[in-house]
Amino acid sequence: MAEITDIQNEIIVDEIEEFIERPDERERAINTFAQTTPEMQDIAAALIDGDNDGVDEMTKAALDAGTEALEIMDDGLIAGMGVVGIKFRENFIFVPEVLACARAMKAGMAYIEPILSASGIDPIGTVIMGTVKGDLHDIGKNLCIMMLRGAGFVVHDLGVDTSDDEFIEAVEEHEAPILGMSALLTTTMPNMGKTIEAFIDEDLREDVKIMVGGAPVTQEFADDMGADGYGKDALECVALAKKFLEEEEDEDWAAD
Amino acid sequence: MKLNGQDFIIIGENVHTTRVVRRKGNLVTDNPAGLESVRYLGTNKKRRYLVIPESIKKSQEYEEGRVKHVIIAVQAAMAGHEPYASEGLEYIRRIVQRQVDANTDFLDVNVDEISWRLEEQKEAMRWLVQAIQQMSDTPLSIDSSNSEIITAGLEVYDNSVGRALLNSASLERLEALDLAKQYNTKVMVTAASESGMPQNPEERLANASRMVDAANDKGIATEDIFIDPLFFPIGVDTENGNHAFEAIRMLREKYGSDIHISGGFSNVSFQMPSRRLINDVFMVLAIESGADSGIIDPVTNKPQSALAIDRASQVYQLTEDMLLGKDRFCRTFLRAYRKGELEG
Repeated sequence: MAEITDIQNEIIVDEIEEFIERPDERERAINTFAQTTPEMQDIAAALIDGDNDGVDEMTKAALDAGTEALEIMDDGLIAGMGVVGIKFRENFIFVPEVLACARAMKAGMAYIEPILSASGIDPIGTVIMGTVKGDLHDIGKNLCIMMLRGAGFVVHDLGVDTSDDEFIEAVEEHEAPILGMSALLTTTMPNMGKTIEAFIDEDLREDVKIMVGGAPVTQEFADDMGADGYGKDALECVALAKKFLEEEEDEDWAAD
Repeated sequence: MKLNGQDFIIIGENVHTTRVVRRKGNLVTDNPAGLESVRYLGTNKKRRYLVIPESIKKSQEYEEGRVKHVIIAVQAAMAGHEPYASEGLEYIRRIVQRQVDANTDFLDVNVDEISWRLEEQKEAMRWLVQAIQQMSDTPLSIDSSNSEIITAGLEVYDNSVGRALLNSASLERLEALDLAKQYNTKVMVTAASESGMPQNPEERLANASRMVDAANDKGIATEDIFIDPLFFPIGVDTENGNHAFEAIRMLREKYGSDIHISGGFSNVSFQMPSRRLINDVFMVLAIESGADSGIIDPVTNKPQSALAIDRASQVYQLTEDMLLGKDRFCRTFLRAYRKGELEG
């Protein structure tokens, strides 16, 4: 098992010491960073600091020096974002700061994505996002989209006031395995259930994982509506989307 | 109320089913019988306890550390089981009274989050409007995102204390203007378009102007119209403060002093720490830009205290800079918060 002293970057060590309190998360963070190179730790530290230019320059430099794009994404960007997520959940940092980190992540991904797709590695997944019928609110949904894109997802944004047909067409057109629906109003929340029913009626429900969120939405409500998951904020939305992809992979294995 | 000799119309937002108190905060404590409760002072200044029911304890809000106290009170009072019903009613009476004492002009009533079932929402609106009108002579602002729930409230509203405010009508909900006419209310019109939220001050002006025209066409007088330009969180985009102030200035310039310019002031501090400070400074700048009304918590966000802030202080300057878009990702403000420099 790795020790915190195995991590060379002092900023990363400080971040773990100061902000990661849960023993399981601490252990996971130490194990993750202990096996990364100092260059990757520098990228992660810059991302945690929301340092857009730093991540941009260091990602480019690492690629020029021959580091694999996948390694930079996993050991630098995603590892750094993991720390950001925990700090946000524990109220050590706030939405604007998470946005700065997401922007830094995006700066790095701008180099990584074209390399991955040119080498035949697909983006980690495609997500369709939209606010439900009758609801014009999009701030929370847009935060989710920024974070999903930051995490390497391709996101098709259907905007606000999205009809059942628009959701269904988008999922079919992009062969998206994941759909996210948002609602800010109790008066429009039930439309999530109606859209899910429309997917059942079209015999498409099995093809897509559906996640829901928005201020008045709860896990209980999501379960009632027959959604596959609920996220209380943008970072949970990303975690859920990743979980869905893993489940999908597991199912593919099982089907072999 | 009068504010520096000018009218400022307070729409008090505290009878709102979205309202929460923090479980870890001072207000949530055990009652003498050991039951977890929200403590408050009754109308006789005696400490009382609103017991948190088991159903709420199972909710996700509660698990995440928030207690929806207004929902607890309304549900207890409506269910009618003693002693919880009387306690719920007393709790509502106290919220109403504190807002009335703070010179509230309209008590905003919103029950949208009590349920997601329309019939239950309508029933709660009917009940709450009548209950509050037995406690106070302050006119009500009937607030919902659904016109049917608004109708339920207006049907039982007693006009003899003064006309109600309908909150709100917008381009995607034009039928609410007919309700305003039918029930002879004042009306809040928002700057949302048919298809989305406004992205800049120009869109706010254009959408709101179309609403004012539509209201005038239906015979609603301009002085009975309140405009909500729609204020968005500064934490999501640091231009959101500038958009708000610019929209207010443009609307005031176009309509002069006839119309009311209002809106939900506390939206701006959503997801940020030190919300009261941000709300106070936002209020100062909104009033300066031409707002003459606000949907606010008049107990914690008093206009007279906001206007009395020392504008030369560092705390004020930091907050103003942030609201004027001069603090990228709110970094300086949040750093000051973490250092404890925003207190006092």
